[in-house]
Formats: sequence, structure tokens, C-alpha cells
Amino acid sequence: MKRLKDIYIFILPLILFIGAFSLLPVIGTFWISLWRDVSFLPGKFIGLGNYLRILKDIQFLQSLIFTLLFSLFSVAIEMIIGVIVALVLNEKFTGRGIMRGVSLLPWAIPSVIGARIWQLIYRYDFGLANYLIRNITGSSINWFGSSIGAFSALVFSDVWRTTPFVAIIILAGLQTVPEELYEQSKIDGANIFQRLFKITLPVIKPIIIVALLFRTIDALRVFDIIYVITGGGPGGSTSSISLYSYKYFLLGDFGYGSTISIILFFIAFIIALTYFKIGKFREVAQ
Amino acid sequence: MNEEKLKKILLNLGIAFILIFFLVPFIWMVLVSLSKSPDFLIQGSYSLTIKNYIDILKIENLHFIDYLKNSLIISGLTAMISALIGALAAYAISRFKFHGKMIIVLSVLALSMFPQICIVGYLYKLMSNFGWINSYKALIFPYIAYSLPLSLWILMSYFSQIPNEIDEATLVDGASRLQTLGIIILPLILPGLFSVILLLFMFSFNEFLFALMLTTDYTARTVPVGIALFQGLHGEIPWGYIMAASVVSTIPIILIALFSQRYIVQGLTKGAVK
Repeated sequence: MKRLKDIYIFILPLILFIGAFSLLPVIGTFWISLWRDVSFLPGKFIGLGNYLRILKDIQFLQSLIFTLLFSLFSVAIEMIIGVIVALVLNEKFTGRGIMRGVSLLPWAIPSVIGARIWQLIYRYDFGLANYLIRNITGSSINWFGSSIGAFSALVFSDVWRTTPFVAIIILAGLQTVPEELYEQSKIDGANIFQRLFKITLPVIKPIIIVALLFRTIDALRVFDIIYVITGGGPGGSTSSISLYSYKYFLLGDFGYGSTISIILFFIAFIIALTYFKIGKFREVAQ
Repeated sequence: MNEEKLKKILLNLGIAFILIFFLVPFIWMVLVSLSKSPDFLIQGSYSLTIKNYIDILKIENLHFIDYLKNSLIISGLTAMISALIGALAAYAISRFKFHGKMIIVLSVLALSMFPQICIVGYLYKLMSNFGWINSYKALIFPYIAYSLPLSLWILMSYFSQIPNEIDEATLVDGASRLQTLGIIILPLILPGLFSVILLLFMFSFNEFLFALMLTTDYTARTVPVGIALFQGLHGEIPWGYIMAASVVSTIPIILIALFSQRYIVQGLTKGAVK
């Protein structure tokens, strides 16, 4: 009996906090998504009405496509650069500790501050990016004038901010690769690139999938940098699902805003499940 | 021999790439913050000044000091409370056998899968009903809840490394479970606790969406929201102020990252590699 009381003392605070401020809001959001819940109008239960509305919402489709493309491009580039950075940080050289600290910085600072810096760098008139581009090509790029320009600018900023995270996770994986594997293949005459593709990458494959999973889920919910850098423009072409949902909350339409956010959850959930499947499948196959 | 040379070249290229790619934006931030005007590239001349710094610290209407104070208090309290609650729960999960243990762990992890946008709408309604909008409480409680999965996950892996015999020896001596945890076990995982507190602090210091939605002015507004909404009197973007404010608010984070890099990496990878 005494033990049971003990358990409650230890677990209860966690359950209370998560119950009240995570679980309740999640259930509440599901519930609200079944209602017409708009400021200044009486609430009305409409079942799946909001979900039917989303099927016909062209702007939602646009934000869905943007979010998927954004996640695809930024995660793919981050993974490649992240592996390279991790390989560098795994070597022995003087100042490695400082370099590891430096490699944390873009990820450690508030995303809003990183976004503000990039917004300034991309400025048409006195931005650093255009200054360099003008010196090489003679003309400037209006980053936020076209959807492709705004898209690239956002992906680049996101790659800068989240590559450190990928690099840290991959680095942890690299440190588990046994040295003997390399010794053996050196004797067999494999060069460094062969060793990278034949030994290193296959061995750390599980950890690469973990990093992919974390980063994809995180990229799908992108909000901060878009809010700051483009605000969803030009013409809504860079509005992520999170930003689109937020705009309905701002308008006071909590029913539809909640519905959009629930759809985002399901998309992330399905993609996460797919990764789990891939991860497990590979383990069994090897 | 040839291979060693190639490796060395690649390594140096890699180091140069990391330094340029990661650091140039920071250098740019500092340069603009110390410049009289942000458009020195097209003006062709750079004049050094610390006026931006003096202004953001002195001009009360900008409220930067308020944002910074709010951020430090909210993140500090969140980090400590969340680490404490996480430690209690992680200890129980790693030491006690009880019904529903797996359900608790799995549902906590599942909840952390929900994007923030999925709970911020309802949180707004909840906080409005409580009358908490624009108060510290409105941010601290959701931050604790949202960061607990991370705290629990990392601390569980630290506790699982401490052998059970140590607890049992202390319990035989007549100490309670709580005493055992506080006096014997926590000191053993102090590095883990430290890295959890750092990570949680960084998480809440950086958080944007909740703070944007649940605060309305400088009484509770945090640094990220302040910096995102910074506007000049005539609608222009005051780049000098924004960059100076960014430098000041990133200094604590940069110091943490450079000097406690080992702990942050340890905490992060404990959570991920498992």
C-alpha cells in the first residue's frame, strides 16, 4: 500500500501537467474541429462539416503542397550536409571542441532571430546575398517577388538552422562505428570514399533514419521562419499548413483552424509510421 | 601517403565550409548591430556605433528589457520545474513495477508527436477562460507540459544506467524513496540533470508560437515574439535595433552552446540514440 502511494507521488505531477496542458488541448482540438466555432456566431455541431470544407479548399491544397515540398527539399539537403559536417567533426584535429560548439549555434539560438538575420541578408536593396550576387552576375534577385525565390530562400534558411541537429545525431552514430571495420577494409585496399559508402553509411543507417524521422516531423510543422521571413507570401505561395491554420485562429475561426491542424497531425503521423516500417524492415533484412 | 593527403585536404575544406556557412550570418548580425545604418553595403561606408545597443537598453517604449526579463524568468522556471517533475517520473518508471507503466510512457511520447499548432488554439480558449492570457502562467504551464516528454525520455536513460543495488542499500538504511532519489541518486546523474535543464531552457527561450498566441504585450511577451514584431514608429523595420537585440539575447545561448557543448550533445543523443 505504501508503495502505491509512493508511485503516485512520483508520477502524479507528470500526469497532471501533461493531462491538463497537452492531452486536454489535443482532445479539445479534435472536439472543436467538429463544430462551427467562429467568434460572434453561436456554436453549432456540424460533425465532419469542416473536414468536407477542407476537401474543397484550394488554398489548403496549396499550403499542403508547399509544406510537403519544403519538407522534402530542406530535409534532403540537411541530411547530406549534416552527414558531411558530422564526418568532419568526427575527425581528430586541434580546436575540435570549439568547432563542435560552433556547429551547434544556428540550432541553439531562437529560430526567430535566425529568421530575422536571413531576412536581412535576403533584402533586395542592401542585403548581403544580393551584394555578392551583383558582384558576380551584375544583377540582383528579388527573393520575395516570386514563389520559387521565396521557396529557395526559406529552404536555405531552414537548412542553415537545422543542419546542426542532424550533424549531432549522426555524429553520435559515427562514434559507435567500430575501428576494426576500417582497418580490415584498408588492408583490402578500399579508398576513403569506398569506406564511406560501403562501411560507414550502412552501419549508421538506423541512426540516419532516426534523424530523418525527427527532422521530417519538425519540418512539416514549420511556422516560425515563415511567419518572420515571408509571412506566407507572395500570394500565399509559401504559407505552410501551420501558418494557414494560425491565420484562421487569428480570424476567430477556431473550428476550421483546428481541423487544418488535425489534418497536419495525421500527415505527420502517417509519415512517421512509414519511417518506422522502413526502419524495422531494414533491421530484419540485414 | 597519397590518401592521407587527400583526407587532410577534404578535412580542411570541411572545416572552412562549417565556419563560413554557420558563422557568416552571426558576423552579419554583429556588423549590422554596430553600424549607424543597415545599408552600409550600398552606401559604401561603414561607421561604427553602439547607439543601437544603448537605445534598446535605455528606450523604455521598445520594451526589450521587459522581453528579456520575461524570457529569462519563464525559461528558467520551466527548465527547473520540468526537470524536477521529469526526474520524479523517470525515477519511478525506471525503478517501480506497476500497472499502466508502458501506457504512460507511450502516451507521453505519442503526445509529443502533436504539432504545437494542434494545441495552441484550444490553449488560447483555455487560458482565456482562466483569465491567464498575457501572464507568465499562460506560458510556463504549457511549456512544462510540452517539454516533459523530452525531460522524461532523457532522464529515463540516465536512471537506467544506475544499478538498482544502490537504491536498495539506501532503502535498507531506512531512507524513504524520495530521500533516496534526492540524496543518493540525483547527485549520481548530475551531468544528465544539467544537460536536461540546459536543453529545456533553450527550448522555452526559443519557443515562438505559444508565446505569439498567448501574450499580448510586454507584461509577458518573450524575446522571440518581441523580435518578430519589432516595428519602427513609421512601419519601417528598425534593423539596427533588431540586430542589437538579437546579439544581446543570443549571448547567453551562445555561451551555453560553446561551454556546455558536451552536455547538450550528450542530452540530445541520449534522447535520440535509444
